[in-house]
Amino acid sequence: MNTSLDPLFFSVSDTFDLPTHFKHPGISFSFHAEPVKKETLHCYDTFDWKGWNKNNTILLYRRRLNIIDLKNGREIFSVSFRKIPQSFFPNDVDNKATASKLFNLSKLRAFICYGSIETEVRSWKVLDENQKTITSVELRSIPSSNEAQKKLFVKLSPVRGYGKELQAVAGELKKHPEYVGKTTFTDFYKAVLAAGGIVPDNYSSKPFVKLKPSNTIQDSARKLLLSTFGVIQANEQWIPKTIDTEFLHDYRVAIRRTRSILAQLKRIFPPEKLSRYSQAFRELGKRTNNLRDQDVYLLQAERFRALLPVTMRESLDPFFTDLGNRHKKELRAFSRYLVSEKYRLLMQEWKSFLSNDMSSDPAITPDARKKTSDVAVSSIQKAWKKVIRHGREISRIATDTELHALRIDCKKLRYLLEFYASVFPANILRMVVCQLKELQENLGAFVDLSVQQDYLNDYLSNLQCTAENTPFAASIGGLVTALYHEREQVRMNFHKTFDKFDRPETEALFNGLFKKNR
Amino acid sequence: MKTIALYSIKGGVGKTASAVNLAYLSSLTQPPTLVCDLDPQGASSFYFRIVPNKKYSSRKFLKGDKKIYNNIKGTDFDNLDLLPADFSYRNLDIELLEEKKPQKKLKKNIEELNTEYPFIFFDCPPNLTLLSESVFTASDIILVPLIPTTLSLRTFEQLFEFFKENKLDTSKIRGFFTMFERRKVMHREIVEEYSGKKRFLNRTVPYNSEVEKMGIYRAPLNAVRPNSPAAIAYQELWEELMGEID
Ligand SMILES: Nc1ncnc2c1ncn2[C@@H]1O[C@H](COP(=O)(O)OP(=O)(O)OP(=O)(O)O)[C@@H](O)[C@H]1O
Ligand SMILES: [Mg+2]
Repeated sequence: MNTSLDPLFFSVSDTFDLPTHFKHPGISFSFHAEPVKKETLHCYDTFDWKGWNKNNTILLYRRRLNIIDLKNGREIFSVSFRKIPQSFFPNDVDNKATASKLFNLSKLRAFICYGSIETEVRSWKVLDENQKTITSVELRSIPSSNEAQKKLFVKLSPVRGYGKELQAVAGELKKHPEYVGKTTFTDFYKAVLAAGGIVPDNYSSKPFVKLKPSNTIQDSARKLLLSTFGVIQANEQWIPKTIDTEFLHDYRVAIRRTRSILAQLKRIFPPEKLSRYSQAFRELGKRTNNLRDQDVYLLQAERFRALLPVTMRESLDPFFTDLGNRHKKELRAFSRYLVSEKYRLLMQEWKSFLSNDMSSDPAITPDARKKTSDVAVSSIQKAWKKVIRHGREISRIATDTELHALRIDCKKLRYLLEFYASVFPANILRMVVCQLKELQENLGAFVDLSVQQDYLNDYLSNLQCTAENTPFAASIGGLVTALYHEREQVRMNFHKTFDKFDRPETEALFNGLFKKNR
Repeated sequence: MKTIALYSIKGGVGKTASAVNLAYLSSLTQPPTLVCDLDPQGASSFYFRIVPNKKYSSRKFLKGDKKIYNNIKGTDFDNLDLLPADFSYRNLDIELLEEKKPQKKLKKNIEELNTEYPFIFFDCPPNLTLLSESVFTASDIILVPLIPTTLSLRTFEQLFEFFKENKLDTSKIRGFFTMFERRKVMHREIVEEYSGKKRFLNRTVPYNSEVEKMGIYRAPLNAVRPNSPAAIAYQELWEELMGEID
């Protein structure tokens, strides 16, 4: 007989209790009750529920941080954790293995406390004739706004090598008049979340919008814009809290997507509205540019330091301190803007524009009634052809301007593929995106490294020529050099990467996409 | 995986007390830890209130793998498991004779547990038998408790001789003094002379009646009386040993 180490869960009714003894054929047990305790469960996950999505429950209680397998209730990690932070990063956990487990769930996101649920626990140790603990029983009540709906769970924790005994105790529980039924850890955790009014997995930075290929493009575009608007709204109130950098990042991506839809679907919205909103979103995006740049530098602080010889690292500190201060100031300004009347009105207006009926007067919006699938195919085809054409035109040395421009072409194509994802076969689309992603990574790295160098050069030219600044300037200079070499490496890889994208196999994939919708 | 044997040719020197307490300390710092009780008297199993499954026997122990795995039991302490000894272990020596390579048997049988336990402790019966030889091959460290008397030192020397004669690795052997009584001149002189020498650990475990009470507590002393002199000594002994392992 193999001993399974999964804990067992049962639901029971309110009057549940255990006797002090019971006899089972061949074995007799005693139950030792421990005093009733209040215990608060603090539920953590990232904003995009990475833990939940990978079946990991992150619960803080009894001053321990526990990572529990959502499917079977087994403890994967349990480490001492003496604070109850609003949010934390994997690095804040002392235990290396646990920290790296969390880091693997999410590299950039913080783990946020979604709620703290006060529960009541009664527990019993089940002892055999030698007074050896063979299992423990835990009765936990999870509150609900409605007292009658209070939920009671019994958890039987196994002890290795005592599987038979565990089953005997479980069998005994089932005969109990208050026994309601078998349940799972997943149900238990769902009840905990529900008690805290927490809805898991309610956010995605790329909401999947199911479009009907035969619907008008105007209708589909509105749907896409509305869901993107949802992302803007979901993130905006979190940005000022400085929990992690991804709120701002997702917010910016949503703005860029909005702009991209507006730019590519020109003849489906009234021109005067279109230009008003294009302008407004461009400005909104611009307001966050510095913030994002600063975020990127701060995230890369360690990498930057590591690029320099040990002796030069310390003199870089003023740069990051300065950056941190600027970031604070910038964030304060942007947070004020987010609660301003101007911003509120823009969002309100935008929402009602998307929600209300629109003109389909052919004189004003000639393309509004086109079929979604037709527009999807033709616009993706156009964008893809453009990437190919521009990519092939790139000179042997691949200049900065050429690569910058191609990056934007690729982004546009990528957004279109994402917008219309629901009208294409998922498997082909995945492969197409995969191909494109590789090219985008090369171009993205190139542009990032360029922007970073420009920023540092700029910083350097504004630096006063004083004796104290010399080591500082030297470090920045060293950094620029290191980044330069990295960038040239990326540039050298461009043609190879592009050729990989520009080949018959990829072309066949794209044609595969189009064929299905012709 | 590190394997540590508590071994001595002499009986009643503190092997079991040391195995139980050191394993408990190991489970706190290097979880999880396994104790293999190899003594048919089952003293360490007794301390953890564990009796083996009815069908468990020395034969199953020699089969290894799943047979061992399925008979491991969780103690009342997190991350500390035990493979209990059965009375049939008294036949292990004879049964080992039937094996092709008796000296390597134990090492082979615990290989499976490699990934699960960073530390495994053997609580050995006294005497020098075929089973002991199998333990010598399977262990990374052979910890030998000694009561500070000339007689103990003599048996310690005998163990060394045995290792040399059989071309075993003597560097595995580490002695340490237990049941040390400061008021006894002979104890003082021996401890002063030997502890800290190449083959000995520095830290000694004092004579402490709390250790005897482990039979009543039926738990590691470090779990129930962590401030008793012997528990403190075991704590320091473990730290000294860990310092050497890293
Ligand atoms: N430091 C100590 N102080 C006082 N008593 C001790 C100490 N260490 C061990 N004892 C006692 O000495 C006796 C023998 O100890 P233990 O059982 O640990 O030795 P052992 O070497 O395992 O014996 P055996 O050879 O019979 O297996 C036990 O009664 C134990 O409680
Ligand atoms: Mg013993």
